[in-house]
Amino acid sequence: MLIALPGIQARLGDTLAEAWSNLRSQGRRSALALLGIMIGTASIIAMLNGGHMAQRESLKLFAKLGVDMLQIGSAPTGDRPALLSQAAIDALARTDPDVIEAVPLANGRAAARTGGRTADIAILAAPPALATLANLRLAAGRHPAAVEECALSGVLGDAAARALSGPAAAVGPGSAVLIGGYGYTIVGVLAPVVPETLDPVDYNMAVLIPLHCARRIIPDGGPTGLLVRLRPGADTQAASERITARLATPDAKLTVLDARSILRTMQEQKAVHSRMLIWIGAVSLLVGGIGVMNVMLMSVMERQREIGLRAATGATPTDIRILFLLEAVLLTIAGGAIGSALGAAIAWVIAHSSGWDFALAPWTLALGPAAAGGMGLVFGLYPAITASRLNPIEALRAD
Amino acid sequence: MLRLESVSKYYAAPDRAIAVLDEVTLSIASGEFCALVGPSGSGKSTLLNLIGLLDRPSSGTLWIDGEAVAGCSAHESARLRNRLIGFVFQSFHLLPRLTAWQNVALPLQYRGVPRDAQRAAAEAMLARVGLADRTGHLPGQLSGGQSQRVAIARALVGAPRLLLADEPTGSLDSSTAQDVMALLAALNAELGVTVVMVTHDRELAASCPRQIALRDGRVLGSGSGTC
Ligand SMILES: Nc1ncnc2c1ncn2[C@@H]1O[C@H](COP(=O)(O)OP(=O)(O)OP(=O)(O)O)[C@@H](O)[C@H]1O
Ligand SMILES: [Mg+2]
Repeated sequence: MLIALPGIQARLGDTLAEAWSNLRSQGRRSALALLGIMIGTASIIAMLNGGHMAQRESLKLFAKLGVDMLQIGSAPTGDRPALLSQAAIDALARTDPDVIEAVPLANGRAAARTGGRTADIAILAAPPALATLANLRLAAGRHPAAVEECALSGVLGDAAARALSGPAAAVGPGSAVLIGGYGYTIVGVLAPVVPETLDPVDYNMAVLIPLHCARRIIPDGGPTGLLVRLRPGADTQAASERITARLATPDAKLTVLDARSILRTMQEQKAVHSRMLIWIGAVSLLVGGIGVMNVMLMSVMERQREIGLRAATGATPTDIRILFLLEAVLLTIAGGAIGSALGAAIAWVIAHSSGWDFALAPWTLALGPAAAGGMGLVFGLYPAITASRLNPIEALRAD
Repeated sequence: MLRLESVSKYYAAPDRAIAVLDEVTLSIASGEFCALVGPSGSGKSTLLNLIGLLDRPSSGTLWIDGEAVAGCSAHESARLRNRLIGFVFQSFHLLPRLTAWQNVALPLQYRGVPRDAQRAAAEAMLARVGLADRTGHLPGQLSGGQSQRVAIARALVGAPRLLLADEPTGSLDSSTAQDVMALLAALNAELGVTVVMVTHDRELAASCPRQIALRDGRVLGSGSGTC
């Protein structure tokens, strides 16, 4: 009906130029009709980019460890310590098809003291594998991995090292620090670590020591938790159930943090907000579309003589339909473009006030004008058809 | 060139149909210059609109250039108007936002002529009607006589076979009307375009080679050759 006629392509350029100049002459009224389209596009673009950034931010919480990760902790159920079986943990990777690696952990707290300075720090006892699993990089020194017998050596977190450093004496590899009353030698200092959801301790304010030497400083000494890396895409829910069953003891109550479930919960909460904003956007677009239809109908009524004259000079009903349809589409695309810019600005404000990094999903910027243009096409159709069906004689006589 | 046979046009009145045109039979040869005269309400504009394919007869047949055109669709009629017919109206009907040459170029635009060629042809036609120095003016900047010249240029830019003018001098003072009339006569002679012009001005009508008189929807003296 609209496209498949010869010669139309050749005329399209002229029609486009005319449609544009007609719109400009409509001025303020066009602008008013655009308001709804602009608000609709802006809220949809803001919402999509807000969601995009929230997604990036939530993924950041799992950047080090990834999302195929479980953190399991144990709490005592009675008087006896909530110790887990090291042998059972070591067996997991071998026997459970979804487990790639299981790293036992024990933790405690102690006061660290050196050169007259004191800091309350966490103690994390773990096998050397933790450094690789959690991607812990050293700023200086080495991991105590190579230490065979239980020398009292540890790696300090970045903030802990700075808290213990004096103006003259920086704490670093080789420093002696009294931790929980034991004289430890610091063999390395960690680079600053961005905290994540599944971190067993705040690495920055901790000292890392080998697990097999934990008995000295952590009461009971054995593992009270573990980090489990699962096969990518594994069913984390099922895996965590199997693992907790394997590790169950009457003395401990196990709690599981499942990266994927946490992420899912966050996204579900977000989805509720998104749906609401999408509805607001859709309703505004609809209202805007009706506004555009109104403006176009008024324009058709006012320009009857022009329509009649065009018909007299040889414009077919199709030509006239295209002229008005193009005007509606141009109008809404312009509104969509402004709305997109507005939406991007709102997304920036959201990012700024939430402390997120600002990032736009490029496809959303194209989506704004495209969706608005679609509205123009839909709501412009009726006025365009009205214009093309005017009787030329009556149109020429109109005033 | 143009032939009407038993063409009637009725409008439905509350109680009965009124014949505005009643069995009009008429033929006009190529290159003729005809004045269509008659009292107000006699059906002159109605007849002109039928000939111009802006309207359809209730009954009867119409041939333009040997083609029976009365039963054409809106689309076909538009294509035929674009190719064969130029219109001039009493109130000029220039589009106010387009310059003179852009107004003149309209029929070419609907023919799919490239922009540059449109402009060249439009400017040449404006020069032909004596407005070479007004091509970039907007209609609001032109006098009545100049506006009607632009409208005449627009009607003729596509080299139509037939020029239909409904009281082209009705809005002009008598000396300007004389000028426009002279221009139409010159173009008729030069380009060989057939002209049918409705006018109330007896003097102008008298200056036409042929007069067709209508009364109550009937042709009185189609008197070919009568002056
Ligand atoms: N759409 C219409 N519906 C009903 N009657 C109409 C319609 N158009 C025209 N008429 C009638 O047809 C008759 C002829 O009208 P027309 O416009 O052809 O007259 P005319 O000869 O051009 O008159 P004038 O010299 O005043 O322009 C008039 O009586 C008019 O009222
Ligand atoms: Mg009339």
